[in-house]
Amino acid sequence: MRCAIVGSGLAALATYATLRHGGVAPEEIAVFGTHEDPLAVWRTRASSIRQRRMRSESDGHLAPASFPGLAVREAVRRGSPTPLLQSVANRYHPSVDDFLAHGDEVRVRSGWEHSFVPRRITRVRAVEGGFELDGEGPFAHVLLATGHPGLAKPEEYPDAVHAYEPHEYASKVAVVGAGMAAATEWINALSAGAEVISVRRREPVRRPLNVPRPLFSKRGLASFHAAPPEKRAAMLRALSTPSYPPGRAWDEPLRSERFRVDSTARGAEQVIAATGFKQGFWHDPLLADLVAEHDLPAHGRWIVLAPDSTVPSLTDDVRTLSIAGIAGQWAFPAADTIAGAKYAARAFRRRACRTP
Amino acid sequence: MSYTLIGRLQTRVVSALPALLVALALQRWWAIELVALMLGIGLLLDVAVYHSLLAYQPGWAAVPLGVLELALVYSAMRWLDLMAPLRWAFALYAIAWVSAQLFAHALFPRARLEYGEAGGELGRAGAVTAAAVAVVVLGGLGAAYAVLPPTVHLHGTIQGPLVIEHAQTLVGGVVKGGILIRADHVTLKNVTVVGGENGIDIENSHHVMLDGVRVLGVSMDGIHVRRSSVMIDDCNVASPKGPWVQGIDISFSMDKEMSMVSGCTIVGTREGIVTHMTMVDVTHNHIGATTLRGITMGEMSMGTIEHNDVLGALGVGIICLDHSECEIEHNTVAGTRTDPGGDPSRAGVAIEAHYFAKATLSNNTVLASPGGVAAFDQATLSR
Repeated sequence: MRCAIVGSGLAALATYATLRHGGVAPEEIAVFGTHEDPLAVWRTRASSIRQRRMRSESDGHLAPASFPGLAVREAVRRGSPTPLLQSVANRYHPSVDDFLAHGDEVRVRSGWEHSFVPRRITRVRAVEGGFELDGEGPFAHVLLATGHPGLAKPEEYPDAVHAYEPHEYASKVAVVGAGMAAATEWINALSAGAEVISVRRREPVRRPLNVPRPLFSKRGLASFHAAPPEKRAAMLRALSTPSYPPGRAWDEPLRSERFRVDSTARGAEQVIAATGFKQGFWHDPLLADLVAEHDLPAHGRWIVLAPDSTVPSLTDDVRTLSIAGIAGQWAFPAADTIAGAKYAARAFRRRACRTP
Repeated sequence: MSYTLIGRLQTRVVSALPALLVALALQRWWAIELVALMLGIGLLLDVAVYHSLLAYQPGWAAVPLGVLELALVYSAMRWLDLMAPLRWAFALYAIAWVSAQLFAHALFPRARLEYGEAGGELGRAGAVTAAAVAVVVLGGLGAAYAVLPPTVHLHGTIQGPLVIEHAQTLVGGVVKGGILIRADHVTLKNVTVVGGENGIDIENSHHVMLDGVRVLGVSMDGIHVRRSSVMIDDCNVASPKGPWVQGIDISFSMDKEMSMVSGCTIVGTREGIVTHMTMVDVTHNHIGATTLRGITMGEMSMGTIEHNDVLGALGVGIICLDHSECEIEHNTVAGTRTDPGGDPSRAGVAIEAHYFAKATLSNNTVLASPGGVAAFDQATLSR
C-alpha cells in the first residue's frame, strides 16, 4: 500500500479526497483513525458551541478543487445569485449545515469507507522505503492529521465547561477567552437570556479570517518561509492571538446591558472556557514520540517542517512524511483551517502521485 | 486572491486566450492589435501598479479595475489610431474580461488545485500556454506591422488627379484636380483637395478611411463614393464651383460594409450628404445653406441620422426618401427656408419622409422651419 493517513477528521478527509482526485485508488490508501465518520468530532464541537455559520468562505469545503465552492452550490440550489455576490464581496460564509452536508457528499463520493481502518496509531517509525505505523507497513507516503491534541482549560477554573463540550447556559455566565469561540458563546448566552461576563486577558483582534489573507498564498508564504526560525515563531505566536471577524452581527448583541467585561469570573454561576486547544506538539503522544524517537528538530511548540508540510529529515525521493492540521503550522500558519488541510494534502498528493 | 507577480502575469496572459481566438477568427489585424493592446496595458498595470498596491485582490475589484482598463484601452486605441469598429472592440474587451473572471474563479482552480495557494501561478502547463499566447500575439502584431500599408507624406501642392491603386496611407499636402481611390485599405489623413469634378472619388474599394480631409472648389461631388465602404471623419467641403455640387454622395453600396460619416462640415452645396442604396451612419455633422436638401438618405438606404446640425437649408433639412429606413434622432434643424417653387414637400420642411420611406424620429429639435416635420407619398413617420 502506497499511502497512509493517520487521523480521521476533516484534514484526513480533505487529504483522502485529494489523493482520490489525483488518481490514487482506495486500495492504495489506508486511513487509520478512531471515527468512521470524519465529520463526527467537528460536528459535535460545532453543535456544542451552537455555531451556525462558518468563519471560512465559499472555498472552505473539503472537496479537492476549490471550484465549485459552497457559494456556487447554494446559488444553484436557491436559484439566486445572492451567495455569489456575497462571495465576491467576501461576505459569504456558508452555513454549518451546508458545510457538513457537502462534507458527507465528499466522504461518500471519495470512497472513504473502503480505506478506513478503525485503529488508533501510537507510533510512527521510519524504515527503509517508508514508515511503519504501530508495526504495520511499510507505507511509502504517510500524512499525519491527528488534529488538536485536546481542549485547553484554564487552571484557575477547574470546573469550567469547555465551549466545545455540550452544555446549556446558567442565568449568569462567565466566558473565558477572546477568540471566535468566545465571541460565539457571548452571543449564545445572551440569546439564552443569560447575564454574560467576558473574562479576558487582552482585547480581541478583529480579523475576517484566522490569518491575514496574503498568508493563504505563496505571496505571503514566501516571506514567511524565508524568515529565520525566531522570526517565524514570533509571527506564529502573534497570529495565535485570539481573534474574531468584524461586523455588526458580532457587535450589536454585545451592546446589551447584560454583557460586561471583567478580569475575573466572580459571581458567575457557570464558567465556560472558550480557550481553544492545547498548544504544542508534545501534547500529542504520537507526535511527541515521533520527535523523540527520530530526533526531529523543533522550535518552541512547533515541529520544524519544509514549506510543503513534510518532515525534511524523513522525506526523500521515495518516501514522504507530512503533517497536516495544527501541527503543520511551521509550513502554513493557517494549518488548522480547511485551507491549511488542503495545503498539506495537495503537497502530499504531488509527492505521492509522482512515485509508483 | 493574493497573486504573486508571476501568478498575475500568467493568469492575465492565459486568460486572454478566448479573446485571442476570437481575434484570430475575425481575421482582422485590428482585432489582433486590440488584444495586444489589452494585454500590454494589463501587464503594465500588473507590474507597475497592481502588484504593489493589491497584496490581496477581492473578487469585486474586478469591476473597477475592468472599467479602468477599458478606459485606458479605449484612450490608447484613439491615440494609436487603431481602426477598430467600436462595437466589436467593446465586444472583444467584454469577452476578455468575462473570460478572465471565469478562468480565475472557476477554470484555473478546477484544473489546478494549487492555483489559489500558488498565488495564481499556473505551473509548467500554464507557463507554456502563457508563452504560446504571447508568441501568437507578438507574431500577429509583427505580421500586422509587416503588411501595414506604406505611409506617404505629401508636402506642398501636387498637381492631380492623383490615382491610388494600392493600399497606402497618404498624409498631409494639397492635391489639385482630385484624388481617385481604386484600392482597399487606403487612408487619407489631413489631405486638402482643390478643384476637379469630384474632389475624392472612391470606387469599388473597401476599408477606406478619410480623416481630416478638406475639399474645396469642386464642380460635382466633394466626396464621391460608389460600391465602396468608407469611414469619413472630420471632413470639410466648401466653396463649391457651381450650383450642382453635392458635399458627400455615397451610393450603390448596400452589399458592402457599413459606411460612416461623422464630424464633417459642409457649406453651400446643393445637397450636404446624400446616400442611395447604402447602409450608413451619419452623425455629428454640421450642414449649412444647402440649396436642395441638407441630408438625404434615399433609395432604399438604411441607417441612422443622429446628432447633426442642419442650418438654413432651402426646401428640406433632413429627408428619408424612397423606401429607405432611417432612424433620425437628436438632430437640430433650424431656419429651413421655403422653396419658392410651391411644392409643399419643399415648403421649408425640417424633417421629411417621402415615397414609401419609413423614418423613426426621437429627440430632434426643429426651429424656424415652416414646413415642420412631415411625410409625403405614403411614407411613414413614427416617434
